[in-house]
Amino acid sequence: MELFETKLPGIGVRYEFTTDTGDRVGVVVRRDGKRDIALYDRADPDDCQGSIELTRGDASRLAELLGGTSITERVEELRHVVEGLAIEWVTMPKKKGLTNKTIADGKIRTKTSASVVAVIRGDHAVPGPGPSFEFMAGDVVLVMGDSDSVKAASAILTGA
Amino acid sequence: MREASDAVGSAAVNVGDILIGLGIVLIVLAMLGRLAARLGIPSIPLYLIGGLFLGQGGPFPVHAGDEFLSVGAEIGIVLLLLLLGLEYSPQELRDGMRSTWLAGLMDALLNGLPGFAAGLILGWSLTASILLAGVTYISSSGIIARLIHDMGRIANRETPIILSLLVMEDIVMAVFLPIVAVLVVGASFTQGLLAIAIALGVVALAFAIAFRLGDQVSRAIHSRSSELLLLTILGITFLVAGIADAVQVSAAVGAFLLGVTLSGRVADDVRILLPPFRDVFGGFFFVFFGMRVDLAALPPVLLPACAIAVIGIGTKVATGRFAAGRAGLGKKARQRTAYSLVPRGEFSIIIASLGVTAGVETQLGPLAAAYVLILAIVGPLLLRLTDRKHPRYASS
Repeated sequence: MELFETKLPGIGVRYEFTTDTGDRVGVVVRRDGKRDIALYDRADPDDCQGSIELTRGDASRLAELLGGTSITERVEELRHVVEGLAIEWVTMPKKKGLTNKTIADGKIRTKTSASVVAVIRGDHAVPGPGPSFEFMAGDVVLVMGDSDSVKAASAILTGA
Repeated sequence: MREASDAVGSAAVNVGDILIGLGIVLIVLAMLGRLAARLGIPSIPLYLIGGLFLGQGGPFPVHAGDEFLSVGAEIGIVLLLLLLGLEYSPQELRDGMRSTWLAGLMDALLNGLPGFAAGLILGWSLTASILLAGVTYISSSGIIARLIHDMGRIANRETPIILSLLVMEDIVMAVFLPIVAVLVVGASFTQGLLAIAIALGVVALAFAIAFRLGDQVSRAIHSRSSELLLLTILGITFLVAGIADAVQVSAAVGAFLLGVTLSGRVADDVRILLPPFRDVFGGFFFVFFGMRVDLAALPPVLLPACAIAVIGIGTKVATGRFAAGRAGLGKKARQRTAYSLVPRGEFSIIIASLGVTAGVETQLGPLAAAYVLILAIVGPLLLRLTDRKHPRYASS
């Protein structure tokens, strides 16, 4: 996908791309954090058919929605690839479970034989965290194992 | 002792009168603003009309304490320009200058020269004609930015071209206003030349500071407390504007350059804090300008105003078509660019008010008022006529 960038003096930056189906989409990133999404007119490619103004909150919710589905899709793909192997994404709760505790504290491997493969914190990932790794609320933990042990491990992680 | 108490007593009476006057002015502004929103036109022309009617020659003269209103109007200009400067980073100004200098030059010549010629034809002085050139040249960044937003055209292809042209005009203003500020003082040729050289030197220095030290200055000024930030920023702005005025760079340009210098968090916070102040004092500015124009002086200049307005539409349309054509835009986008540039507003009035304050030419005030009245209303209407989606966006 080719992304075109144009500066809008006093407003921000406009990005443009063409979708696989041939529609041209523009996203304006305003300096105050607002975003605009515009769909260009096929008859008059300089004009928009319409545009949506998104606040900072709207934009991040929309991004979650768009990005979130792609994560589940990828997990679905993984499931298909490896028979008999279960994978689960566990979001760490506010206080309960292993939040603010280390992987060693939970003894997940000994108790369940599942393993913590990776942790996603904010927008960076920690692949293969060590035993001293401390979970924080909101971490997304990737657990792998057979389906029973994954269930047990996620129960320990979330304290449910 | 007696004198002192008399002074206090008369001051108290004055304060009451001034407050009543200001109250009436503000309420009239509020009503006109509502009307403008209802009609879908910019508020500037209606504020001017309000001023015409409330002025000394109008049917409802209001004595709001001219001194206060004139200071308020000056503060209005300073805040308008400070916030305009805040919209741009020095980088954006430099990029804008590089990419659109040709269209910008054409813009200045095509739209400035007819005004200059019209001044000479009307038998005005050279200075007054140069001021009129500025009035006919410069588009209204305020009205145009608002229209682009309201009509959902932020993502349109022509928008960066329109914005770059406006950036160019603002840079030209930063050079034009100091020159005019010197001219209206009426100095001798060599004195004038020296003063202009000094003024332009100051502007160049300010630009250099904006480029080099913008970040440091911004960090030093910033405060988490909005109260402290507001006091700091207003203090610095008035100080810079005042000093700029003293060295004849014009207060407006001083404020604009300060705005360009500020960046980062300060700029973000000030962009949120200051607009309400700008709206109030900016309102004063337009009303005050209208009040200084005698309503009776308007009819005689109506014909020349219409003539230069028609020319002003034509020349902006030509400029817009040229700039959009150079960028390879389609026919419709060229038309939108062309009509977008037509509205004139705050800048034309700022230039004219310099001349009115200095008493350069009695017809300049009424002519500029009529010209802006026509183009601030006709420009947006032209744009809406070409917009098939207008019902959906006109309401906002």
